Amino acid sequence: MSSRILPEFDLLVPQSIPEAVEMLTKYQDKAAVMAGGTDLLVLMKSGLKVPYIVSLSEVPGLDYVIYDPNDGLRIGAMATLAQVADNADIKKNYAALWESAAVNGTPQTRNRATVVGNILRASPAGDCCAAALALGGKVVLQGAAGKREVDIDHFWVAYRTTARQAFEFAVEYRIPANVGKSAFKRMTRADQDLSKLNAAVCLNMSGNVCQGARLAIGCVAPTTVRMKKAEEILKGKEITDSVLKEVEEAVKGEVTPIDDVRSSAWYRKEVSGILMKRTIQKACA
Amino acid sequence: MKTRSITIYVNGEAYSLNVAVNRTLLQVLREDLGMPDTKYGCGTGECGACTVLIDGKKSILACLSLAVLMDGAKITTVAGLETEGKLHPVQEAFVNEGAIQCGYCTPGMVMKSVSILAKYPKPTEEDIRRELEGNICRCTGYVKIVQAIQKAGDALASTC
Amino acid sequence: MSEFSVIGKRLPKVDAQEKVVGRSVFAADLDLPGMLYGKIVRCLKYAHAKVTKLDLSEAAKVPGVVKVLAPGDVSSKEYNTGVLDLLVPMGDLADQYLFTGWVKHQGDAIAGIIAKTEEAAERAAEKVIVEYEPLPVYLTAEESMKPDAIQFHPEKPGNRACTLPDQMPNNAYGWGDVDEAFKNADIIVEDTFYVPKVKQCQMEPHAYVALYDDRGRLNCWTSTQMPKLVQAKLSRFFNLPMNQVKINQTTVGGGFGSRLGMVAEPETCAMAMAVRGRPVKVQYLREEDWIASESRHPGKYWMKMGFKNDGTPVACDAKFISYKGGYYTHGSGVVFTTGSWLIGMYKFGACRYKGETYYTNQAPSGAYRGYGNPQTNWAMEQMVDRACAKLGIDPVEWRLKWHKAVGDDSSILGMPYKSCGLDACLNEGAETFGWKEKRQRYANQLGAKRRGIGVAVMNHCSNASPFLLEHTACTIKMNQDATAEVISNCSDLGTGGHTALQQIAAESLGLRMEDVHMKVQDSDAAGFDIGAHASRTVHMGGWAIIEAAEKVKATILERAAKHFEINVEDLVINDKKIHPKGSPDLFIEMKTICDQGISNFVDFSTGKTIGVPGQIVEHSSHFAAHNAPPFAATFVEVEVDTETGELKLIEAVTAHDIGRAIHPPSVEGQLEGGFQQGAGMAMMEETYYDKNGLCLNSNFTDYKMLGPSDMPKVKIILVEEPDPVSPYGAKSCGESGLVTPTGAVANAVFNAIGVQISEGPITPEKILMAIKEKDGAF
Repeated sequence: MSSRILPEFDLLVPQSIPEAVEMLTKYQDKAAVMAGGTDLLVLMKSGLKVPYIVSLSEVPGLDYVIYDPNDGLRIGAMATLAQVADNADIKKNYAALWESAAVNGTPQTRNRATVVGNILRASPAGDCCAAALALGGKVVLQGAAGKREVDIDHFWVAYRTTARQAFEFAVEYRIPANVGKSAFKRMTRADQDLSKLNAAVCLNMSGNVCQGARLAIGCVAPTTVRMKKAEEILKGKEITDSVLKEVEEAVKGEVTPIDDVRSSAWYRKEVSGILMKRTIQKACA
Repeated sequence: MKTRSITIYVNGEAYSLNVAVNRTLLQVLREDLGMPDTKYGCGTGECGACTVLIDGKKSILACLSLAVLMDGAKITTVAGLETEGKLHPVQEAFVNEGAIQCGYCTPGMVMKSVSILAKYPKPTEEDIRRELEGNICRCTGYVKIVQAIQKAGDALASTC
Repeated sequence: MSEFSVIGKRLPKVDAQEKVVGRSVFAADLDLPGMLYGKIVRCLKYAHAKVTKLDLSEAAKVPGVVKVLAPGDVSSKEYNTGVLDLLVPMGDLADQYLFTGWVKHQGDAIAGIIAKTEEAAERAAEKVIVEYEPLPVYLTAEESMKPDAIQFHPEKPGNRACTLPDQMPNNAYGWGDVDEAFKNADIIVEDTFYVPKVKQCQMEPHAYVALYDDRGRLNCWTSTQMPKLVQAKLSRFFNLPMNQVKINQTTVGGGFGSRLGMVAEPETCAMAMAVRGRPVKVQYLREEDWIASESRHPGKYWMKMGFKNDGTPVACDAKFISYKGGYYTHGSGVVFTTGSWLIGMYKFGACRYKGETYYTNQAPSGAYRGYGNPQTNWAMEQMVDRACAKLGIDPVEWRLKWHKAVGDDSSILGMPYKSCGLDACLNEGAETFGWKEKRQRYANQLGAKRRGIGVAVMNHCSNASPFLLEHTACTIKMNQDATAEVISNCSDLGTGGHTALQQIAAESLGLRMEDVHMKVQDSDAAGFDIGAHASRTVHMGGWAIIEAAEKVKATILERAAKHFEINVEDLVINDKKIHPKGSPDLFIEMKTICDQGISNFVDFSTGKTIGVPGQIVEHSSHFAAHNAPPFAATFVEVEVDTETGELKLIEAVTAHDIGRAIHPPSVEGQLEGGFQQGAGMAMMEETYYDKNGLCLNSNFTDYKMLGPSDMPKVKIILVEEPDPVSPYGAKSCGESGLVTPTGAVANAVFNAIGVQISEGPITPEKILMAIKEKDGAF
């Protein structure tokens, strides 16, 4: 385990999607898929041993960010956080994702790290994970049998575990059009930091009334989760101070955080409702 | 594969090497190419001491880049900023504003500053502070570094 | 119009150019012919254990490995990485080993591997077979002082590594009868403060190269702060005469005390001696820094203060129980100095300080900028503000009235202050900060976000006298063209020390900056110097240079007097020319005198020589005659989000009693950087351990420091009231900047939320808890 010397591994550099699929079909869970590498290489420097790395960096056509007002947003596996943070359409229409990409990591890591990679990493602290869960959408997986889509709601199955099978890889994350007003907020120790708490919301508003809400919160469970009780409270209501107070209490009651080096279970529980309330207020602003 | 032949362009010169796949760009620069100006500070992407530029403006971390995936890349390190013995305006500003104490973070900090000014030719102080995250300095409290970037920005703007 | 030609000028630092182009050489950048790579194998699994089995045979077989070293293959002599044993004859304990069989903290070194490449050494380290017998782990003094605890060292019963010496009655430092004095107090405040284990986090990871050459010389390239002391230590340890040990001080990428003494020079040199003729490079990984180099002394600081209703401070009683970590190192140092800064601050009727440090199973506590002063500031300044709040007295007003000043005993009882610019610091600082106006503005706040303001003051030192040896030697050698070589072992840690010393040399020789070259970083060339600690470089280095320069000028004047055939008193040196007073056109150039000294030919036609023969080389050996404590005041404004406890720094003003700023940008830089470290200590920095003593955050991912977006606007005010016993009146600034931000941030939080948080660092978690416990009455 050394921050200067990587362990030995076999590198596979497919030149096309079919080639990548072939490699994964062959090596399955002996292989790790690498997009930007900013997560994987750090894990390997901390001792993770991986016999094969399948790098997507030379597969053409995976770095797209395509927005269509009718079809929605499609983000390719190699599209970086910097590309998303520089995109005015995303800032306007998917503010939660824009914000999460703009604050995650550092400018240098954002030039390499990917949205899809953040989702695949499946850390409950993942900033793009919180945004994705609030915005909804699907992860598109490619295997030998072709493409399949998994709803983001079913994508994280356990701590750092996704619905991806070892013989497939994620090619895209897509979100429908007109998802509503969204926002992302987080709490950290220093400004540049892994989140100790993060939240994202997406509100389907009809005038002043909230027809439906997706409220996502991270760092309080083994995966990013939705606050379903709190979402019910908002349904069909105007977002008043008293409604927000109810949401705050519901979230506080729903979360089950733990102590870790970044924060405490007590603190996360105390402020989770407040963070959610403020994220909703931000979306409405 | 366990090794790969690559050609990388560093500070304008082409280098063709056969490199083991598990070597980072940082190791290749410092050891294989004998260019110690880019520094190791943490190896895990937090400190920015290993910051280099791609295409003269995009900042990346050499410690988290596999060298073999950089074939064809045009890389600038701090040693490549001078032109014919004349310091880059960012370097000039760092010297004149007293933004250098121990000098260990300086190569990465200077490269990051160049990339900031490439993206934000007229940066606000908030832009500078936000974009400087990812480069750690333990000597200066960032005070004179921010001042140097502001001065360098003015200097670059006035030469346009 | 400045009275000086070079002193006080904002010129670029002498090493800025090479640093900005990436050409300055740090130890890790060295690439010597035949160089090998050394890996120190450490125990990472346990914080306290005996090594029951160590098998390096598999490691030795890894391709590229040249040699493996078990404890039996190297010296088993004890040593102490600290250098205090060289500076005071107090018999500090040597309890460290190159490679140990008894692991006393996670990260302790158990073996060495020398290989052709770093990668080979890493692969070999993975193949080391080692078994341990785990021992109970002690993470606090309270745990290790228990009677049934394992004794770390037979000479330290109860695991108490050090207490104040017996020469101090009752092992206490202070004056008056504290217990009597408390009886006269109208109010008493008392608390125990927790100081976290914070780390210097210098940006250059520790790195060394050593070569045992074919002349039997041990050469070591190191960024130590103390090259001559390390030379003495290595010479002692390896039984080599001092002239067979050469220390090449490489560019120091930040010190802050982390390199006060040795870190891994002994292991690196031992490896070099095992492969004579081949240089060996040892380079720390960042993650080794927290577990294998020294930190600040953490611990519990109990303090009690008594006051009259009008604010008169009647008594102060304090005890700092610190956690020493696994080895003695600076055991005797911080234990004492922590109390000395307390003693030097306020005019208490009576004052008493006790200090103790106990072994624990963590990386040793050693030296970190401030050396006990930040710990004292954290407790003392919060106690003062608690009393001020109770008594309804403005914290700035109270400090103006009760701080010690000229004539009062300093931190060294019996040695009074000769200068004190603290009034100016407090007044100008308060004015610039807007203290009065803000105090009024924030007196009655509504709303969830609350602003708070705090002040803290301090005194420090400009060298380590009279307690520690203080000696700096300097040689000045004049070339034929009257340019000067100033040969010194004074260190520049990035502080600007070499620049300031070059300015002092130029000014005192009557030369321009470019006429002076500082020959530094070479232990062969220069005479003795302690090194960079106790903020002594400008004070001691400066005096040594001035004394040597005065001798140079005296010699030059003597020779000029011979030339003009007049008295020395009737001559003047100006712009590198010497002329009789009132006759500037009748001059002899300095370079002529220097040249005549060297190139002293016999004129065959006259049989005489021209000028006075002899190269002008003068030497000084300066022992500190005085200390010259600087003072400072820092003002901080914070904002607390009372719903979440989040803390934001809004603004800071530091006013520093510098005496004279030799190189103002460096003084400002030291204070600005110190602020980042002091505020970080107050707000977020701490090294964490699990219950088994394994470090949880030995990386920048989880050891968080203030970044550029966290830092507030920082304004530096330099109060220049020249000190009568300092070179050009200059007092120190190297450590001071870190001290006052700790108390000022804590006091600002107190002002914002009305509750003090005695356990550092003040995180949002603790703030929110404190607010809730206060019934959130906002």
